[in-house]
Amino acid sequence: MNAIEVADVHKIYRSKAGAEAHALNGVSFKVPEGMIYGLLGPNGAGKSTLVRILSTITSPTSGHATILGCDVVRQALAARGKMVVVLQHTASENLLTVRDNLMIYAYLHGVGPAAARKRASALIEEFELGALLRTTVQELSEGTKRRIQVAKIFMLDSPLIILDEATTGMDPLMKRRVLDRLRAEAKKGRTILLTTQVLSEAEELCDEIMILNKGRTMASGTLQDLRALSTRMFRVSLTFADGATDLPRRLEALQPTELHVNGRSAEMVFQGEEASLLGRLADISRDAPIAQFEVRGPTLEEIFLSLMEKSR
Amino acid sequence: MNAIAAVFYRDYRQRITNAAFLLWDLMIPLAYLLLFGLGFDRLLGGAIAVEGQQVGYTAFLLAGILAMVTFSVALNTSWSFFMDKDSGIFYELLTFPITRQQLLIGKIVFNVLVAVLGSALAIAVAVFAIGIEIRWELLPLTVLIIALTTGGWFFLFAIAGIRMTRMDSFNTLTSAAYILLMFLSTMFYPLDGLPSWFQTAAMFNPMTWQVDLLRFGLLGTGTPSMLIAEAIAFAVFSAVCLAFAVRALNRVA
Repeated sequence: MNAIEVADVHKIYRSKAGAEAHALNGVSFKVPEGMIYGLLGPNGAGKSTLVRILSTITSPTSGHATILGCDVVRQALAARGKMVVVLQHTASENLLTVRDNLMIYAYLHGVGPAAARKRASALIEEFELGALLRTTVQELSEGTKRRIQVAKIFMLDSPLIILDEATTGMDPLMKRRVLDRLRAEAKKGRTILLTTQVLSEAEELCDEIMILNKGRTMASGTLQDLRALSTRMFRVSLTFADGATDLPRRLEALQPTELHVNGRSAEMVFQGEEASLLGRLADISRDAPIAQFEVRGPTLEEIFLSLMEKSR
Repeated sequence: MNAIAAVFYRDYRQRITNAAFLLWDLMIPLAYLLLFGLGFDRLLGGAIAVEGQQVGYTAFLLAGILAMVTFSVALNTSWSFFMDKDSGIFYELLTFPITRQQLLIGKIVFNVLVAVLGSALAIAVAVFAIGIEIRWELLPLTVLIIALTTGGWFFLFAIAGIRMTRMDSFNTLTSAAYILLMFLSTMFYPLDGLPSWFQTAAMFNPMTWQVDLLRFGLLGTGTPSMLIAEAIAFAVFSAVCLAFAVRALNRVA
């Protein structure tokens, strides 16, 4: 069974003045159970609207979506019972202590006090919250509030985790720990849907990615699928054995879309056929021998920027 | 844990963080009873007629004081939507496996206890300090009326608390509602002798229905047919407000 199925979902927001904003325009995708699926897109792409529809906060204007077979509109309560959600903005019980935040979150998801206490003890250690247990959340930094918000989802074993830019504001060490934990949860069979603007995070974590822009799907698939879409873009790293005086000029003549020369090293991005470039690099290497040579496919960031550029 | 019990526990934990606010909910009706009630009792200098019965003004006012307790507690509970919005937890709550009805009902349950406690204090002061005689055999009915009507008022204010984004606008609206509902009812005075338009407006005011029911529970005043009609009217009012509050939660985004 698919953990998430979204079919031709549209969402139109209407202002009081009657103006319409098409936040989602016929989005469709499926996420099999146990997959980590990333939603990427610039601000206003429709990612958070999609998260709000899947988490039953709002309904689609048309189309339908299901969570593990439960329709998010007609079976909203059952759908909510199968997921935990971290929304884009920090959400915490500011007047309550860190301990209360964890416990009440579990209670509100139907967990009993004994089970909640047991689960909280493990998380307090993992997320380094021991010293803060009796502190009210309003006294904590935004980063720590975010840490508590993310820690809360591990109080439960819901089969689906939805994260809307969940690692925003976290320090790098904690972010690493959360990403590792998410990977471990996916291995156990939990499905994870995440939206992020940190492309390296999606590249590292996601099995499949969908790129949204202006409420429409720009591209979707594995990283390899997306690389294939990105019009034969590739990155070349070179290190020359000896410095050549006119190296930048000669490399510029290859017409890369990007060129960075640093001493004997150069980093270039090309669009086109690799084979024709190799011949021209061989010509350069006769005068300035190449010590190291590496060709890589585009990073997710390059794919993303290329697709955004095309959509303008 | 049961969904309503979990929301109840959450509200309890939040409200006990502000003891002064909680105390205010409990004490303000006593201040009204002791200052306003006794002052007017002396000013009016004797009993007033209610449905053929002669009662002192403080005794007459007691039902209004209890209505005021329920109204204030319900209003203060609905402010919590703004706190939830400020902390960002409001939208997260909507993703939890609880129905919108359970969320609203759970939110009011702890505050019903506050309203019952505040009312018990007011009744105790009225009976033991001021000497008002109440119908003890009807006390369970009075408690039931207090509990159910606190819910009704909360569902009304929840509609505004959920839909409105500015707390100052919410305060303006609820202050206006507070004045209109209280003074255009039988809370402070009997309707006899007032202009007919006033009497008609008061008859359609849920505050009148609530005060009349509470006055029956405390003093045994009122006619059965009218009281039954008012009880049904308040139940319908509460159910409609709950339905609109649920609708507001469903359309929040």
